[in-house]
Amino acid sequence: MHALLRIPFAEAAPPPSEQRRPTALPAHIKALKERLQPSRIATRLLPFNDPSVDGCLGGGLPLGQLHEIGASGLARETGAPQAGFVASLLARIDQARPIFWIAPTDDLHATGLLPHGCDPGRLILVRSKEDTDTLTAMEVVLREGTAAAVVGEVGELERIASRRLQLGCLRHGVTGFVLRRWPYGYRERQRDATAAVTRWSLTPQTSVRNGNEPGALRWRVALTHARGGRPGEWIMEVADDASHSVRVVAALADHAPEPQPRGFLRQAVGYG
Amino acid sequence: MVGAEGEAEGLSVGQTLTAARAICPTLHPIEADPVTDATALLKVAAWCERYTPMVAADAPDGLWLDVTGCPGSEAELMQDLAVRLQRNGIGCRMAIASTAGAAWALAHIGGKDKTILPPRQEMAALADLPLTSLRLETDTISGLRRLGLRTVRELVRIPRAEITARFGHMPVLRLDQALGLAKEALEWLHPLPAWSERLAFAEPIFTPEDLARTLTRLAERLCERLARQEKGGKRFLVRFFRVDNTVAEIALAAALPVHDPSYLSKLLQAKLESVDPGFGIEAAVLDAETVAPLRLRQVRLADPATDDWGKLSVVIDTLTNRASPQRIWRVAPFASHVPERAVQRVPPLADRPSWTADPSVPRPIRLLPRPESIEATALVPDEPPIQFRWRGALHRVRVATGPERISAEWWRGKREDNRPETDLVRDYYRVEDAEGARFWIFRAGLHGGERRPRWYLHGLFA
Repeated sequence: MHALLRIPFAEAAPPPSEQRRPTALPAHIKALKERLQPSRIATRLLPFNDPSVDGCLGGGLPLGQLHEIGASGLARETGAPQAGFVASLLARIDQARPIFWIAPTDDLHATGLLPHGCDPGRLILVRSKEDTDTLTAMEVVLREGTAAAVVGEVGELERIASRRLQLGCLRHGVTGFVLRRWPYGYRERQRDATAAVTRWSLTPQTSVRNGNEPGALRWRVALTHARGGRPGEWIMEVADDASHSVRVVAALADHAPEPQPRGFLRQAVGYG
Repeated sequence: MVGAEGEAEGLSVGQTLTAARAICPTLHPIEADPVTDATALLKVAAWCERYTPMVAADAPDGLWLDVTGCPGSEAELMQDLAVRLQRNGIGCRMAIASTAGAAWALAHIGGKDKTILPPRQEMAALADLPLTSLRLETDTISGLRRLGLRTVRELVRIPRAEITARFGHMPVLRLDQALGLAKEALEWLHPLPAWSERLAFAEPIFTPEDLARTLTRLAERLCERLARQEKGGKRFLVRFFRVDNTVAEIALAAALPVHDPSYLSKLLQAKLESVDPGFGIEAAVLDAETVAPLRLRQVRLADPATDDWGKLSVVIDTLTNRASPQRIWRVAPFASHVPERAVQRVPPLADRPSWTADPSVPRPIRLLPRPESIEATALVPDEPPIQFRWRGALHRVRVATGPERISAEWWRGKREDNRPETDLVRDYYRVEDAEGARFWIFRAGLHGGERRPRWYLHGLFA
């Protein structure tokens, strides 16, 4: 009787972590783990050089992943602020390799990219027929992995489609940007949450008058979702000088006590 | 041509309808339709390319096939062609000879359905045939008949100069062509491709796997030849010859010359779904229509772009050859002040165009394909508007800057009074509305001109 009342933890058992883990993982799970290892995922970051933004993003915009850039109001149809914002980002991504810009409309003006610091000579423009066509074309470009980035102008974007793009980005280390843009007069359906690692929403802001002229371009930039980070909202301005950098003018609605340490996002991305 | 049943009844070509009806009261006449006949003939001709790449139509009812060097014996080929045509309800008479003229004569005039004339026997075979066997015009033939000439032999006896003086050079030329003394140019359906590979099957194939394998085989053979000469194909055409005498095609264009068989067959197989094999495919031909020397690029050190060159062409080929082909281009600057002309399109694999920014002339990031008319309200004619309506929404101008005057390029296009409004002098303003959206609008034309100036919206800033 006495012998049955043994106290288990008093025994010299192997440490619990080793006890729980099976000795050999099935091969396919192993392969899956391998593929999703944070070390295998391109974790280059594109910093905004502003502690409040970089803090929300965990150091900067993660490259080699999918980002979604939307806008509100008229810009949902014109697609102008989205294009400007993405051009400012593209200006700082891998100068040597080309960028594919896929859109069903033909109104991107190459000369207009220069004030954002983006060299139009790097662009390869593709005219697609419709949204689904744009998405397939983006996947084709991602598959070869030769581009520095892919930009697609899409209206409706289903979660599965965005997931495929995100996986394509991860696998080949190409940064993807989805610019949300709808045809004129089109009513947006229920908005799906997409698999993009960051989601941005832009609203044009009135500029600070420079004498009698409009000043530098301004947007209210809302980071509505950042995987592994936290949302924030800022007013940003495109610098008029030769640097063409995007800088934060004022922080809004960012109630974080302090910026998160670098590398925080790195741990979290890829498992989605 | 009269079919076997008709011949038995006593019908012949050239008979009047009344005479034919008298012989055969059940005759059902059908109006001649030369246009449809010609199309049908071309279709049969295209199908005959399964035997040889050199097929020419001989209107109204004949076909030339150059079977020199075709596999199998001539008799077998003839038999095969006759059976296949017969199966599709096409009766035919055939002749094989060393010259086109002799073959024509034997097929049309010679009494037999199938004739094979050994080389150098033309004179013997044609001597006793009537003059109609020489493909001459009816006037010439009746003229020669009036002289008492009936057969080719009689024509040969007459001094050539005399015939030429009276009937022109055609009788002598046709005679020489039939005898092989003069050359004859035939109008082949397709110009003969030097880069062509053909595969024929004992049994018709129709499964996608078989078709894919066929493409791989063809691509391997063709690419081997191309690679040997350091060339690559830029345009390809695959033709599948179906059992029911029709042809299915796949056309392909490549951004860079291709000589890699696996890549070529991959591109071709991607388009295979557009091919309907019908009841089966008997033969397939792969042509490289445009061939170019392989472009060897100088490899520069520390230039990662060159490594990606091949990969880039793969992306572009995949995009262009998809079911819905897409336009792909790069943009290069063009020396023009007119904004819509300041950008030109260059091929995607062209060298990277160099752009230089000019901060003094800000340009919008979105430029509408054509300027859109807006209703603008301006206090003073020469000033930017205080508000405007675009696509049904009213925009109050908060701040505006300009004008930047851009004149039309007078050396292009029409005279001033015929020009569209937007081709007149444009005064551009950069305006920002109360919400912060920035537009690029212009006033077309000048005050005091024949037409009142009007406002247009041309672009949007980010």
